[in-house]
Amino acid sequence: MRDLIVAGTDSIPAVKADWASGLLEMTGDSYPENAFELYQPVIDWIEAYLAADQRPLNLRLTLLYLNTSSIRALIDILDLLETAHQGGRAVAVVWLYEPDNEGVAALAEEFREDYTFPFEVVAQDR
Amino acid sequence: MMKFDDPLARQIEALLADSTHEGHPMRAVLEDLYARFLEQSRQIDRISHIADRYQNAERERGQGFANSYQRKLKQLEKIVRISDQYQHMLRDVNDRLQWLSSRDELTGLPNRRFMLGLLGEQLRKLGRGGAPVCVAMADIDHFKTINDTYGHDAGDKVLARLGELFRDNLRAEDVCGRWGGEEFLIVLPAADLEASVTTLARLRELVSALPGPTGESLSFRLSLSIGLVRCDDPGEAPDTLLKRVDAALYAAKWQGRDRTVVA
Repeated sequence: MRDLIVAGTDSIPAVKADWASGLLEMTGDSYPENAFELYQPVIDWIEAYLAADQRPLNLRLTLLYLNTSSIRALIDILDLLETAHQGGRAVAVVWLYEPDNEGVAALAEEFREDYTFPFEVVAQDR
Repeated sequence: MMKFDDPLARQIEALLADSTHEGHPMRAVLEDLYARFLEQSRQIDRISHIADRYQNAERERGQGFANSYQRKLKQLEKIVRISDQYQHMLRDVNDRLQWLSSRDELTGLPNRRFMLGLLGEQLRKLGRGGAPVCVAMADIDHFKTINDTYGHDAGDKVLARLGELFRDNLRAEDVCGRWGGEEFLIVLPAADLEASVTTLARLRELVSALPGPTGESLSFRLSLSIGLVRCDDPGEAPDTLLKRVDAALYAAKWQGRDRTVVA
């Protein structure tokens, strides 16, 4: 499987999935007209990565505003990680937010609820 | 169903095994009947077993549906909760941006855009039978000299101080905004000219008591020139009204500054 790169715009986050290091990064706002179009390749990439071998998977999220279908897609992604974690796979999420935007941190906490894998919400250094 | 070790079965088997009944016509019939009974018992057993398994499978399937339904429901609730929270956050941001876009950063007063909107609103109210409105334009006298003598930072400080003074010393329904440069537009709804002149005289007095830009109180005295008009014609365009206020302000300057001129 190759790396997955999506250039971000005003309405979609930049996506960078690095197969070699097992790091998936998503940065920006997420208001796609078609969330399926944006997130299905991401979900496919994660499924392929998790199926390929036993290397750890790390997500680094710097997401600001998400529309409802993006929230759903992200929960699907996190559910995938939870299943992998239940199966003994090393997975972890770091959610970065700007210190003056505490609202984003509160939302990341909402996402984190119910998951048992390492999920950190961290103020970003500027 | 009869168990094979129950008393009747044992009795039948004992009778069939007993050689004294050999040749009895009922013995052969009993033997056939007993064999058929055993076969049917086995069939019933098998059918019950299969039926039980079907029932279990169905129950598990139903349980699976219920579990997956519960999981989906929980996920949906989470999506809705998070989505609502995002909307709250966006509304807060929107409110903040709206506030910022209507404020003058230096003085914290409403800006020109806001004041134009307010003026239009007051004229529409007047058109619907509302009370006449007084409008004043205040200009700081010799502001250029303050900037030239003490620097622009000092000039900015004077503007900020004046903003504070206007905000704190007008009626709740009066609104003062920064019109631009050293000009302030004051809208006094439902006020007559006489009361407005009094209000503005008090403002000018307070302004003249302000310390100079560097804190000294003697070598410097701030003053305002003010043009004041009253609008009771709902057909008057905001532009025309503003031109009248400007003309009154110009007259105040021309007459020697530090005064209010009513036109």
